[in-house]
Amino acid sequence: DTMGCDDGEIVVKFSHVTNTDRHPKGIAATLLAERVNAEMDGTMCMEVFPNSTLYNDDQVLEAMLQGDVQLASPSLSKFETFTKQFRIFDLPFMFVNMDAVDAFQASETGQAMMDSMQRRGLQGLGFWHNGMKQFSANVPLNAPSDAEGLKFRVQTSDVLVAQMEALGASPQPMSFSEVYGALQTGVVDGQENTWSNIYGQKFFEVQDGTTETNHGVLDYLVVASVDWLDSLDAEVRDDFMEIFLEVTAERNAAVGEVDANNRQAVLDAGGVIRELSAEQRAEWVATMQPVWTQFLDDVGQENIDAAQAINASVVN
Amino acid sequence: MASKYTPSGPVSRVIHEIEETMIALLLGLMTLVTFTNVVLRYVFNSQLIWGLELTLILFAWLVIFGISYGFKVTMHLGVDAVIALVGKPVQFAMALIGAGVTLVYVLLLMKGAWDYWAPFAGFNATTGHWFPTGFANSRDQGWYETEQVPIPFLQGWLEATFNMGETYEKLPRFIPYFILPFGVLLMVIRVIEATVRIIRAGEGSLIVSHEAEDAVEQAAALNKED
Amino acid sequence: MEVALLFIMIIGLLMLGVPIAVALGFSSIMFQLLFSDTSLASVAQSLYQAMAGHYTLLAIPFFILASSFMSTGGVAKRIIRFSIACVGHLQGGLAIAGVFACMMFAALSGSSPATVVAIGTIVIAAMRQVGYTKEFAAGVICNAGTLGILIPPSIVMVVYASATDVSVGRMFLAGVIPGIMAGVMLMITIYVMARIKNMPKGEWLGWGEIWASFRDAAWGLLLIVIIMGGIYGHPWIRFEQGASLFYWKGGAFTPTEAAAVAAVYAFIVASFIYRDMGPLASREPDGSLPVGFASPEASKRSSLIQKPWALITAFFHKDTRQTVFEGGKLTITLMFIIANALLLKHVLTDEQIPQHIADMMLSAGLGPITFLIMVNVILLIGGQFMEPSGLIVIVAPLVFPIAIQLGIDPIHLGIIMVVNMEIGMITPPVGLNLFVTSGVAGMPLMSVVRAALPFLAVLFVFLIIVTYVPAISTYLPTLFMGPEIIVK
Ligand code: NA
Ligand code: NA
Repeated sequence: DTMGCDDGEIVVKFSHVTNTDRHPKGIAATLLAERVNAEMDGTMCMEVFPNSTLYNDDQVLEAMLQGDVQLASPSLSKFETFTKQFRIFDLPFMFVNMDAVDAFQASETGQAMMDSMQRRGLQGLGFWHNGMKQFSANVPLNAPSDAEGLKFRVQTSDVLVAQMEALGASPQPMSFSEVYGALQTGVVDGQENTWSNIYGQKFFEVQDGTTETNHGVLDYLVVASVDWLDSLDAEVRDDFMEIFLEVTAERNAAVGEVDANNRQAVLDAGGVIRELSAEQRAEWVATMQPVWTQFLDDVGQENIDAAQAINASVVN
Repeated sequence: MASKYTPSGPVSRVIHEIEETMIALLLGLMTLVTFTNVVLRYVFNSQLIWGLELTLILFAWLVIFGISYGFKVTMHLGVDAVIALVGKPVQFAMALIGAGVTLVYVLLLMKGAWDYWAPFAGFNATTGHWFPTGFANSRDQGWYETEQVPIPFLQGWLEATFNMGETYEKLPRFIPYFILPFGVLLMVIRVIEATVRIIRAGEGSLIVSHEAEDAVEQAAALNKED
Repeated sequence: MEVALLFIMIIGLLMLGVPIAVALGFSSIMFQLLFSDTSLASVAQSLYQAMAGHYTLLAIPFFILASSFMSTGGVAKRIIRFSIACVGHLQGGLAIAGVFACMMFAALSGSSPATVVAIGTIVIAAMRQVGYTKEFAAGVICNAGTLGILIPPSIVMVVYASATDVSVGRMFLAGVIPGIMAGVMLMITIYVMARIKNMPKGEWLGWGEIWASFRDAAWGLLLIVIIMGGIYGHPWIRFEQGASLFYWKGGAFTPTEAAAVAAVYAFIVASFIYRDMGPLASREPDGSLPVGFASPEASKRSSLIQKPWALITAFFHKDTRQTVFEGGKLTITLMFIIANALLLKHVLTDEQIPQHIADMMLSAGLGPITFLIMVNVILLIGGQFMEPSGLIVIVAPLVFPIAIQLGIDPIHLGIIMVVNMEIGMITPPVGLNLFVTSGVAGMPLMSVVRAALPFLAVLFVFLIIVTYVPAISTYLPTLFMGPEIIVK
């Protein structure tokens, strides 16, 4: 019997790692909890644990398989140990923009990926967007050669490590809470992130500038354990999923605006943003695309083709 | 620390030596791996990508392995202000209650450690909220890998035994997590031994009052000389 | 209600003499099993993740290890010699030198007891020899030793940073001005007392001695430069044509890495430069290391040229193994408590206690001043039962959300908590530094308590100043790292 929930209610703990009111994921989680608690009062009770207060992204999936937490939304790289296919989202320049990412996730391939971890005990419920990633560094980054020899903080994903090596940069694993200080004092030279994180963590304050590369995507997958979903009455599960899908659609639709606002906020705060010309962008793509072949077996040529087809249709 | 423990007999001397060497080795390795990574980054613009994760694993090993040693040599901290105020029989009763509580604590941890580790190694966790009431049919998590730590050797055997023949790219998690059931088992053994020791002697406790007891003893000895 | 029971259970078990870690862990497990569905497996996960999931806490074993090498390796006595050369000629000079030495050792070590042991062992004996009372000597060192956790590096700050997700680098910078301030306040108090009571003054040994003793201590003191310069960056020179010669070179490592570098550096200084331990050290005839000053029968130190193989053997030498092992032991003791305090934190978070308390307090119209006084009282009482780092793990998550709501700077709050911990260490009945000093000085606890009192008053005044003047804490971190980002 947890405080705040009534007896007899199904307690749903949602553990995530961001703030509750400014980060796209935090906003979505808060909205989901509000709606579930209002519309399923008496049946279900959702509690949100933000800011890694309960679990970090890595521990949360273990805890979910143990049945100690019901909902989580780790970034997509965390699922690479479950299914290597998820590496497609980390591959540089795989998607031209968030519309392409959205269309890919909604496609048959994307939907199948949500089911691909069932044998490991997890069920994807829906993708939540954050945005496209940009590079920032303590020197101007215009050509890919500008990144050569620099130290970039990366998430510890094999693809992101390979991506940095393709640039001739040195990938450095580092806990997220240390990044600001490390950028500030020069322990590392740069990092890659979405506008929301670059503004939210004030990275732009301690960098020469941010280059709008849109080279990768940072997205989340909301998951639950298969066992827990099976334990719910079909009716309860359907009610919950209905709310969940509505919240997902609403927040994903709004994420472009959040992203743009954060980009603007960086500018307003005096941050420097460098845009790439078509030729410059082509140079970045040419330098980083060889990473695709490195992970071809994990990702599958057919999935890459599907992503490229979607890119083409989105651009036209 | 006011080590009330001196190993008796050759076997316990060897074990004592192994325990102390392990503790020094784990901390020494942590330090060297971290230091190497700093040098690699600062001087060579490079890194051992698994260095950080390995260091954290060694940190967990150091502490979880060392706790049992701490019970053996009575180095864990406690408050002895009240103990000092009461008579001997009360002290003995308090020590017994303390030992009992500690025993329950490590036994509950033992169930938790097994339940946590077992699925990662392809075994079954136990059922029951408080006490193991049987074995559950746990979902096999032998496939679950660490983030970056490579497998130094025995890759083929590990894959065949724990991953149904599928490839491991990284060290599977059940290996670092093994310290949980192992370390907690050692804790159970040491706490039982300590309890027996207290009952036999009719006195003693599981605690020391502060972290610098042996350093202080040395200093006090030094101050006595002048 | 249930939460009150939880805390009563913890205190009850502590009073019974149950190990602190077990009292925390046992109560948390009971609470979890009784009032929630959370599994024992998750307790095991939390125990493992207390270490493997907290990158910040990794600094603790490394700073402990560095301090271990510094204490074994004879850095303390060289720092003391330098202090005496600088201020020993003033009235009450040896006592002032003791404080100065504590400040310098505090800048090398992360803990207070380590500082008391390292400096107190030598200085208390020396003060008695030249005519100070034992009580005065003990009171001085007992208080000055608390600077170990205020002057960076500091284990307690590492724990606070980890519990609240603020940057360790900021906390360390924030401790510099308050640390120096507290030290200077103690020195002034001693000087005034010395003038009134006409305490002994040493001889002026001349600039030559200052220089000689500085050169001797420099290898140890260089560690301060390595830690601070390594984290925050340092001025540097380049020899390229066309570029400006002097420039600011960025930091080389994170605070955690700085701790590991410090440990390795301390090992090198102790084994190869000071040669007070390891294969090159001087030995008594029975093979032991000389304690204090070597006896006439002791062998001389060897040079690396005589024993070049020491470059390899030093790593495996029994002195090295013993020192690393001692560091490991202290790490285990502290982390066992911290890990179980984290279990308690997990239970409290799981039950959303911090939010409930915060809501309650805020709706009761709590203001910042009442709040800070409340924090002071909680910590002063809690400090009677708990090891400081364990206490921070438990209290920080409870008070942090309220502080943020009230607009109190997280770094400022951290420094206030650290100063409270310092005071807790020297207030009876339970105070870590009281115990250690009573042991080191060979005095009954109550005499140390009485001896520490006048200086305790100084620290109280200092606490009030630090609490109401946030800039003392926040000026340096804001200057070097920009304003603190507050993440709710
Ligand atoms: Na310190
Ligand atoms: Na106290």
